[in-house]
Amino acid sequence: MSPATPGGSLLVLALILPVAAMLVAFVLGGRAAERLALAALGLGALLAMLVAAAVYRAGAPLAYAVGGWAPPLGLALRADGVTAAMLLTAALVLLAVALFGRTGHATPPGLAEARAPFAFWCFLLALSAALAAAFLGGDLFNLFVALEMLTFAALALACLEGKPSQFRSELRYLLFALIGSVLYLLGTVLLYGGYGTLDIALLAGRARADAPTLLAAALMTAGLAAKMALFPLHLWLPPAHAGAPPAASAVLSGLVVKASFVLLLRLWFWVMPPLAAAAAAPLLAALGAAAILAGSLVALRQARLKLLVAYSTVAQIGYLFLMFPLALAGDAEVAARAWLGGILQASSHAFAKAAMFLAAGLIAGALGHDRIAALGGAGRAVPVCVVAFGLAGLSLMGIPPSGGFTAKWLLLTSAVATGQWWWALVIVGGGVLTGGYVYRVLAGSLTAPPVTDAPIGDAPLPAAASRGPQLVALALALVSVGLGLLPLASFGLVQVGRLGAAP
Amino acid sequence: MTGSQYLLLASFGAPLGLLIACLWEAPRRRLPGLLWLAPLPALAAALLAADGPPLVLDPARLRFTLALDAPSALLLGAVALLWSAAGAYAHGYLGGKPGARRFALWWLVTLSGSLGVFVAADLVSFYLAFALVSLPAFGLIVQDGTPRARRAGEVTLLLAVLGEVALLLGFALLGDAVPGPSLAIADALAALPDSPARSMVVGLLVAGFGLKAGLVPLHVWLPLAHPAAPMPASAVLSGAIVKAGIIGLLRFLPPDAADWGGVLAGLGLATAFWGVGCGITQDNPKTVLAYSTVSQMGVTVAALGMGLALAVPGTAMAVAFYAAHHVLAKGALFLAVGVGAVLGGARRRTLVLLPALVLALGFGGMPGTGGALAKAAVKPQLGDGLPGLLAALSAMGSTLLMLHFTRRLAAVRPAAARSVPILAPVLLAAWLGMAAAALLLPWALYRPLGLGNPWDVLGKDLAMALWPVLAGALLAIALARWGGRLPRVPEGDLLVLTGRAGGLGEAIGAAVARLEAALRAWPVAGMALLALILALFGTMLAAAR
Repeated sequence: MSPATPGGSLLVLALILPVAAMLVAFVLGGRAAERLALAALGLGALLAMLVAAAVYRAGAPLAYAVGGWAPPLGLALRADGVTAAMLLTAALVLLAVALFGRTGHATPPGLAEARAPFAFWCFLLALSAALAAAFLGGDLFNLFVALEMLTFAALALACLEGKPSQFRSELRYLLFALIGSVLYLLGTVLLYGGYGTLDIALLAGRARADAPTLLAAALMTAGLAAKMALFPLHLWLPPAHAGAPPAASAVLSGLVVKASFVLLLRLWFWVMPPLAAAAAAPLLAALGAAAILAGSLVALRQARLKLLVAYSTVAQIGYLFLMFPLALAGDAEVAARAWLGGILQASSHAFAKAAMFLAAGLIAGALGHDRIAALGGAGRAVPVCVVAFGLAGLSLMGIPPSGGFTAKWLLLTSAVATGQWWWALVIVGGGVLTGGYVYRVLAGSLTAPPVTDAPIGDAPLPAAASRGPQLVALALALVSVGLGLLPLASFGLVQVGRLGAAP
Repeated sequence: MTGSQYLLLASFGAPLGLLIACLWEAPRRRLPGLLWLAPLPALAAALLAADGPPLVLDPARLRFTLALDAPSALLLGAVALLWSAAGAYAHGYLGGKPGARRFALWWLVTLSGSLGVFVAADLVSFYLAFALVSLPAFGLIVQDGTPRARRAGEVTLLLAVLGEVALLLGFALLGDAVPGPSLAIADALAALPDSPARSMVVGLLVAGFGLKAGLVPLHVWLPLAHPAAPMPASAVLSGAIVKAGIIGLLRFLPPDAADWGGVLAGLGLATAFWGVGCGITQDNPKTVLAYSTVSQMGVTVAALGMGLALAVPGTAMAVAFYAAHHVLAKGALFLAVGVGAVLGGARRRTLVLLPALVLALGFGGMPGTGGALAKAAVKPQLGDGLPGLLAALSAMGSTLLMLHFTRRLAAVRPAAARSVPILAPVLLAAWLGMAAAALLLPWALYRPLGLGNPWDVLGKDLAMALWPVLAGALLAIALARWGGRLPRVPEGDLLVLTGRAGGLGEAIGAAVARLEAALRAWPVAGMALLALILALFGTMLAAAR
């Protein structure tokens, strides 16, 4: 592979833009940080589109060698189809979250600078930079650094308000993520010892099925699974979401776990010896299936809206793991379908889940609580939010037409085509359970508000939220649904650069 | 694209277009008054575009196909007519009530799906249309907002989702059986006989479509939902929406499925008698009608099954004709219940009860009615031997059930329902128009559709046609006299058995929640992480050896 391709400078820009914006914002401070963040994230979305267009047009991965040094000596930035798709997803979700944050995280009038808003905008930029690094990096150690940056940026966003209860749950997240990082790092050390390089493209096809390599793969996979909250390693995810502000939850659930997912794909489809990967893939998928069923069942029994959405993430992450045995076992055509299904699930879940968390936050804000049993009146107070929640729910359930449906249909047909029909049952079973918890929320919000005989002033009446943030949630939900309206051929993008894919 | 292809697109595109127009305030305000217009392109398509060239977009991969064969066109026309009449009726019935606009939105979504299933010719569009006719019907059922309507809506939604699941799995297997990238239904059916999963596919499809058509034991949603919905919604639920199941069975059962034909015939006949047995113990005329729908769909499926088992040519058209009569007559009778609830005096007898009695007897096959022609159309399938005898007995049962309905309709006192204080003329016109269509259209269409000369039917075997009606009438008299001693069957009969299943589900949920809480403890999670590493390493090492 040539060290740099035309369009490679786009990758540098995509990485440098958020980093530079963060540094400048940190220096300028206050209101400037907000304006700068919005501009940088808007530009970032534009850049992500350009990268996707360039990859699609070239039909081959873009690459850039930093400083002109080719790996293994230098570091490479690479963008293949997965990178382009996830970069675009992340850029759009981040832009939406930034627009959403303009009301909740604005610097209060009369102040030049306030701690929480300033931190929000700076760390949002940091998160954007870390995500770009995680998607573009072509080197296992660089990716480790990107994941660490990501964890810390997400952590800071999650405990923005500085409440003690937040610190307790975020500490749990931090500890578990660090354990995952240590395992991952151990794996990279083993790989470096064996091959003298950590560049993914160089490792691809070179990895031997000997004990150190396989141990490295096992350690790294477990570490990444812990960071992705794969059942039963999900202990950190529900509490981390319970106290976090909606914008933080949206990026944490929608994007941060997806960075680990992309890294896991790199590990399993590029680095690991294919035979060993195919043998261990059912194990991952079995955990994914357990996540789908258990996560959905537990979500169905939650009393609080935010926890319901958080457990829904535990379940939806499970679908991502179903693609491993399907994409590794089948023939080329089935593998391409399963691959697309997995990536599309990651992308449509990012949009849908971000929409759900933002909508849930607005609903909780309007009602003053987020107990599901007492959601009555939400339909009148924040109707757009309830519609957004419902649309996102349709995508999560897999009702056509929606991105979630296309993703699950692809996984379903791949499961059938490879004779692994038990995954198909899990997919549809999860869909039914998802329908159950989405229905609980929607039916609750559409009932009339409870008539309280408490004196006025005791129980806060549902207050109408401002329109802008509601529309942001709706737009995210619409994107998630709209992904299902695109013809399948236009998803050829995500196949670019996949090993074993027809050129 | 030719004109007929435009009509195919417009048949379900018109309601969707109206729906999009509702993004603006002015059309949204006028929407309830425009509902009757939305199905008219579909009616035109049924008349003009039958057997025309299919519309194929993305022909290289056959991803999106619309087509309309003659049996589908017949059903599409009948269904569009009912939706139009019921739409006009809905405007008069709900008028300016709060929620009329919301009702109109649900109405349009369901309508587009209900029409779409008849023209969709590839797996994905059919699935999409079927989902649109199944799931949004929830909004029509819960319109009144009563706890009863909500429960009916929830049961319907749950069962509809389960039906969707069965279909999704069936379609996935079907799509896998096709060698190329095509998703056209015709290609899938051509590939099905060689598929190793054939019986599983057919079983899943029968479950999914049978649920929509109300086959026992999957019919439980029907007698709950149809009475709970507002009158015009009941009419389309019972008349039009259940036909999505019938068209599915017609379209997806492979012609060589003789083995499944017997199964379907058995299920259908059992359903036919089950509906009668439960229906005669009901007091609410709408519930009686809903059980009659169950029974009639049983006869329809039985005719289809026998046609498959005996390989009778022209079965699809005969079954479509029988079902189309049911669309018109059953839709009309539901509208009659609404009119009967407000019209008093002598006009009540001449304008409601008398036409209703004629339609009711038509379901038993009273010679001269449209129903008699419908029965004659499926004679080749259900004519001889044991099935013939059972079909005649079910006709007797239908007569009994429908006379029971007429009695319950007569017993509804106008004062009892205050929801519609004055009778809008449009209600009466819609009801009488549909009643006339149910009586006359079968006469007009019998010969053009190639089923024979309708006058021959009248002359032939008068005694054979009359005895089920007379015997049913005698039974109806007996029912009127001693019916009070019959045990009451609750609406949704078999549903009472599911209470225990609900408890089981609750127990499973609680157990999973306890397990999950235990897994969230730090030591357990640490052990799980370690176990995952070892398991991954072990599996890969074993594979490498």
